[in-house]
Parts: sequence; structure tokens; C-alpha cells
Amino acid sequence: MTQNTDLNDSELLRSMLAGDEEALALLYRRRQGSIYRFALQMSGSKTIAEDVTQEVFLFLMREGHVFDPARGSVSAFLLGVARNHVLRRLRVEQLLAPLTDDTDDDVPSMHASTDVCPLEDLTRAETIESVRRAVLSLPSKYREVVVLCELQDISYEETAEILGCAIGTVRSRLYRARALLLAKLRPATEAEDEGSATVKSARCFA
Amino acid sequence: MNSQRDEEILTRGLRALAEDMKTLGAPDELEAKVLKAFRARQVVTPIARRRLSSRYWPVAVAAMLLIAISVVVFRWNKETVDTPRQAVKQTPLKNQPQTNPENDNKTSVELPKEVEYQAVDAPSTRPNRKPARKAGVRRPENTQVANHATNEIATDFIPLSYMNAASLQDGGQIIRVELRRSALAKFGLPVNMDRYNEKVKADVLLGVDGMAHAIRFVQ
Repeated sequence: MTQNTDLNDSELLRSMLAGDEEALALLYRRRQGSIYRFALQMSGSKTIAEDVTQEVFLFLMREGHVFDPARGSVSAFLLGVARNHVLRRLRVEQLLAPLTDDTDDDVPSMHASTDVCPLEDLTRAETIESVRRAVLSLPSKYREVVVLCELQDISYEETAEILGCAIGTVRSRLYRARALLLAKLRPATEAEDEGSATVKSARCFA
Repeated sequence: MNSQRDEEILTRGLRALAEDMKTLGAPDELEAKVLKAFRARQVVTPIARRRLSSRYWPVAVAAMLLIAISVVVFRWNKETVDTPRQAVKQTPLKNQPQTNPENDNKTSVELPKEVEYQAVDAPSTRPNRKPARKAGVRRPENTQVANHATNEIATDFIPLSYMNAASLQDGGQIIRVELRRSALAKFGLPVNMDRYNEKVKADVLLGVDGMAHAIRFVQ
């Protein structure tokens, strides 16, 4: 165990694939937090986040040998797997949404009305909640760059590895995502002046 | 100016959200589940492999044996059936270069068993294979066979007047004789008058009834 703590993620993964349970435990403790948070910030659901975290490590047990150190870090690899699982789950949830009562949803509706400006007057908790809702309301391709670059504090390069796209794409998506967030977090009064909530929503998804 | 302030506020809000969620992690029981799955996988996989191998080994061995036996039987059958016929076809062509194909066919069909003995002795196109032997067709020791010399040239068998094809079905015998050259004329063959009194070799095909059925001249 003391030896394993000195190992980096790639070496832990190799040991794990060789049957070392301690290596898996260590790797899990190191990486589960970021995977869980990513899934939670992407989906807004604890259930999905837990399922995705579990699926990622089960995948690692089955298909861990496909990891190529030349293509990126273990962390990026795991977040890439998590992203695929989250997007798959969200597609399924979208299909099932009209049939359920939304009882499992841990996040309030993204179009919940706000009577006050969250950027200036509300308490910190309220601000956080408003930002969280705004992030969740973003289209997934913008949401994932915000989650990775802004919330997870991952570099553009690593984000590009995770998403499988160019760094320039990450930058442009992040710029667009921030613009959408600002539009969402502006005072309701301004939004009302511009038009109805439907119009605001349409602008977000443009 | 206003937009820059909004950007700052947004950044602060995102940082606050990140800070708020920083301590979040998967529940402890999830780690237990993952480790349990890992242990189950480590335990189950070798057993499954062992079962798989122990189940398929006998089948694989049986299949290999079956294939090996089939190949041996197939080759043995092929040798017993093919080799004599092949040799019979080759030998007359070697010994009788002047004959036409029609006559060759007739000869090979009508040859008695003694001719087959000669054919078996002929060099095979497959040098490493033993010539197949049929039960009851084994050649006796020290038997002289006609036409054994490979450098001889022979005519076709010329049927004699009382030749009956049916009488050759039971086999026959070839006897090497010497005749006067004048005998060639009786069969319509050209005779060198300068060597009229010399003798010429001939093979007489005798049937089981002891009668001469055909003759061929050898040089």
C-alpha cells in the first residue's frame, strides 16, 4: 500500500489490470470526486452521478487496457468515459421525461422564475443556486466546457483531450457558453423588457 | 464597462459554485460496490476460464484425432484405387510410342492380369509412396514378365482370327516367342527381304483356354 501511494495514475491502472485491488482502491479515491462532480454538474442528478461514477470504474476494469498514455492522462481518459456515459444517460432521461413526474430531479426547473437580480442582491447561496441552474440549462456542448474549464478548473488542452476536439473549439465554445450564462443571469426585468421567457430560452439554445 | 462587470460577477458566481461543490464526492458505499465488483471479477474470471478450457480440451483433442484418422483413411483409399490405374495408363505409352490413342485404350482395357503386374512395377510418378497391393493380385516370386525391358518397341496386339474378347475376361498369359520374319507378312506387316531368314521376337497372348488370342511383335 505504501508503495502504491507513490505510483502515478498510469502505474496504478497497470497494477489494477494485473489484479491489484489496492491499486484500484487508490485510483478510485483519487479520481472518483472529479468524475462524480462532473456527472453531477452535467446532469444535476445525484442518482445519475453515482451511476456514472460506478460505470466509469466498471468500464476501467473491463476495458482499462485500451488506455493509451500517449493520448492523454488517466484523469482525462476517465472524464472522457464519464462524459460519454452522462450524455447517454441524459438522452435516455430526455426520452423518459414526459412519462415521469420528475421526482428524482435534484435540480429545480431551469426556467424557474427569479424576481430579483442574482448578480447583485442575492445571498451567496442564492447566487450559487442561480448559476447552477443556468449552467444546467445550457446545451450539453456548452455545458461540458463550462463544467470542465470553469468548475473543474481543467486546462484547455486537457479539456480538448476529454472532448476529442481542438483547443480552439474549446475556447470558442467557452466564450459562447459564458455569453449564454450572462444572458440567463441578467435581471428578470431586463428579460421581460426584451420579451417573454420563451424568447430568452430560445436565445440560450441558439 | 457594464459587460466587464457582468463577466466578473459571472466568474465569481462560477467560482463560488465550484467551491461549493468541491467537497462533493461519491458516497462511500459506491467504493465498496466497485471493489466488490472487482473482487467478483477477479474470482469469477479464472474459474470461468478453467471451466471453459476443461470443457473444450477433450472436444479439441477428439476433433484433432478425427481429422488425422480421416486424412490417413482418405490417403490410403486414394492410393489403393488410383495408383495401379495410373501406372497402367503410363506404361504402354512408354513402351509403344508409335501406336495411336484408340488402340492404346483398347489395349489397356483388354490387358490381362499379367500386364497389370508389369504396370505395378513401372516407376511411379510419386516416388515416396508405396505401391498399393490388392489382396489376391500379388505377383509370385521370380515370375518372368514379358516386355520387362523398357527399351523394347512393340506393335499393338494383333488379334488372331479366332479372337474372342469375352474369352479374355478371365485373364491370360503373355509368352515371349521367336518367329521367322516371314511371319510378319502374314499379319500385313512389311518385311525386309534382306533379313528374311532372321527371327523376330513376339509376345503371344494366351487365354485361360490355352489358345493364342493375340500377338505383337517386339524389336
